[in-house]
Amino acid sequence: MMALPTNTVVAALHRAAPGSRVMTSPAQMAGYESDGLGYKSFRPDLVVIPSDSDELARVVRVLHDARVPICMRGAGTSLSGGPVAVQGGAIVHTSRLRAIREISRDGLWCEVESGVNLRQLDEALQPSGLCYPPDPSSGPVCTIGGNVASNAGGAHCFRYGVTSNYVLGMEVILLDGSAHRFGGPAGGNGPWLEDWKRLMIGSEGTLGAFTRFWLRLTPRPEKVWTFRATYPDLQSTERAIHGLVRHPAFPVAIELMDPRAVALVETSSMAVGLPKDHFLIVTEIDGPASLVDLRVESVAEVLRAAGSADVLFSDKAEDRENLFKARKAIGGLLGQVSRDFLVQDAVIPKRALASLLQLIDDEADRAGIPAVTVMHAGDGNLHPNFLFDSRIPEEVKKVEGISKRLMQRVVEVGGALSGEHGIGNDKSAYMPMVFGPESMRLQLAIPQIFNPQHQFNPMKVFTERRFAG
Amino acid sequence: MSAQERFFEHFMDPVDGVLCLPAASDAAAIEREASPHGLRFPLLLDRTTPLCEQVASSPFAPASSRYGPYCDNITGMNWELLDGRRVRVGERVVKSATGYDLLRFLLASGSRYGRALDYVLRLRPACDTSRVFCLSGDVASLRSALKTLLQSSWMHWLDSVDLVAGDSTFLRVAVHCPAREFEAYRDFLSAFSKKFSLALEAAADPALDGCPDLVVKTTPEFVADTAISLAKHPGAKCLALCSCGAVHVFLPDSGAIGEIVRPIESALHAMGGHWQSRHVSPGPSPLEASWISTLRKEWNIS
Repeated sequence: MMALPTNTVVAALHRAAPGSRVMTSPAQMAGYESDGLGYKSFRPDLVVIPSDSDELARVVRVLHDARVPICMRGAGTSLSGGPVAVQGGAIVHTSRLRAIREISRDGLWCEVESGVNLRQLDEALQPSGLCYPPDPSSGPVCTIGGNVASNAGGAHCFRYGVTSNYVLGMEVILLDGSAHRFGGPAGGNGPWLEDWKRLMIGSEGTLGAFTRFWLRLTPRPEKVWTFRATYPDLQSTERAIHGLVRHPAFPVAIELMDPRAVALVETSSMAVGLPKDHFLIVTEIDGPASLVDLRVESVAEVLRAAGSADVLFSDKAEDRENLFKARKAIGGLLGQVSRDFLVQDAVIPKRALASLLQLIDDEADRAGIPAVTVMHAGDGNLHPNFLFDSRIPEEVKKVEGISKRLMQRVVEVGGALSGEHGIGNDKSAYMPMVFGPESMRLQLAIPQIFNPQHQFNPMKVFTERRFAG
Repeated sequence: MSAQERFFEHFMDPVDGVLCLPAASDAAAIEREASPHGLRFPLLLDRTTPLCEQVASSPFAPASSRYGPYCDNITGMNWELLDGRRVRVGERVVKSATGYDLLRFLLASGSRYGRALDYVLRLRPACDTSRVFCLSGDVASLRSALKTLLQSSWMHWLDSVDLVAGDSTFLRVAVHCPAREFEAYRDFLSAFSKKFSLALEAAADPALDGCPDLVVKTTPEFVADTAISLAKHPGAKCLALCSCGAVHVFLPDSGAIGEIVRPIESALHAMGGHWQSRHVSPGPSPLEASWISTLRKEWNIS
């Protein structure tokens, strides 16, 4: 952690942004040491909570002038070690930027501040009949700012797409405290020649501080059918996934749980009566009632034809909740059964599914590390969870070794290191597997435009991004 | 760890529904690869123009209404920088949060930093029934109908909803579905057109309109009026891609573009919209010019 003249900086922050809350006590810092990745912690020197975007701009300016590393943070639910102060310095928390400024039903857009969370937005949108589709599992608490920073996805993005498909515009505070608007309700470039927002989305807080967004909205589906099917082996599970992906009903979600994940649910108080040694697929179709009702039997037939003797489906909200219950329970259960767990986020060509699942099982068995895999199967977005105890260095080493070998295989089969969690500090060391020298040069040119000293969120995404102070 | 440049090789993956082929491929070349697997690439403006020229002419095609812009349907590409160096950008998988999104940035940048050599295209299931319906009536009824349709859950299932403005003004709706579902679509459109006192007419073949001379990006709320207004320019024909908020303008003389955009430019910018044309390009502000200069220097193409 860098040495920081904390008192001087705090005084300057109070002068420049008197409405902001500034915290420095060790007890207050403890809550900001880690994110959803959990086991890697870095204590910040101070935390600032600006009252509005004007104050946020002044806070950034003060921190920039004082040469303090700046890490923007929403709800801290990132799973990749993104919003943590790897080089110490300041965490700027957006929790007070929570206004939904406008909802335009006719324009199909809304304007929200970066600290708005997805549940808050969904509740505000309900009367309009519109929705904002990205739905990461942390939806009840995660913020739009964090979603845009990591290009978050979720179960329903197989058809609806991820965050980048919905960002029409954004306001960004650059290091000098200047505010710039890229895009807006119309989703174009605005007065800019280039579409700079494209570089900002998914930039994981490394280019600037996001204060507000214009988001594209879409009509809520009139009717939803949810299906659940179990399979005795991977071959039949794959057949079902491949059949669903090609089905003209375009399922909105195709979720997979491996037998270990199913067994974890079935041995818990959340049991729903699934066979413990089976794979589980949960899928949904939605749309106008007269259309989706025509599709129900054909989707069920795809699931049956693939080899399931256990296909359930319903259009009733209560039944749907139960059908999805096992999938939704898994995150909470992992936290109950293991002190720590590392969830990976690879995207693979779907034909490589069997070999990747085998690799995960083999590696986990060999290391004596329990692995539980869930997957957004439609997108090939694999989430193996490795259960371990971070107090035991040998276990940490094993888990990190498995992760590295998994990522090497992912790259070999043509996959991506991250589908929706981002790189953070968890996977930055793997980036040279993906980017050769020329591609790396193109990537590292981007912070040179907006954040050349890497003062914003240093040591994230690329290990080369160290702030010299 | 390895640090070698990776490139896409041409492939067709029917399981993932992705196809890698030269960026200069035309519709027939794409169909030759995709059709045998029951797949299609729906975002086409033209049957004979190379795809890279179509992408350069507009971020949207009519079917972007259902499938999103080109940048959401091109998952990766081999890219040649201005000095001839080649890099791979993006992935063969649809989802990625791996580094800065150069794919979308470059796709929107025309030829200012280089050109696409190969694309990885996201394909979609091909169905056996394609139809185009024209809904015509007075402009007020068309406006009212459009507003309702854009907020309907049917929007996810219509390939395109375009307002054609020129000699006459009408709504054009494209349907692509399995034969067993066609009746549901027809019943919906029939009831919908009656509700708004519009005449409904079916056409057999979906027509492609070609590459626009000018694209105006606004919001879905203003797209119809923008198209109707721009179509008043002599000889202009406009196609409003309604849910995308984009107007494709086809002109007899591209020299008129400056005169057309000047009166609307500041209003467009205020709402985060813009105009673009394959014939002319606006210039950057001094601040943006400095950013572009940094980018070019870092990429060694200054």
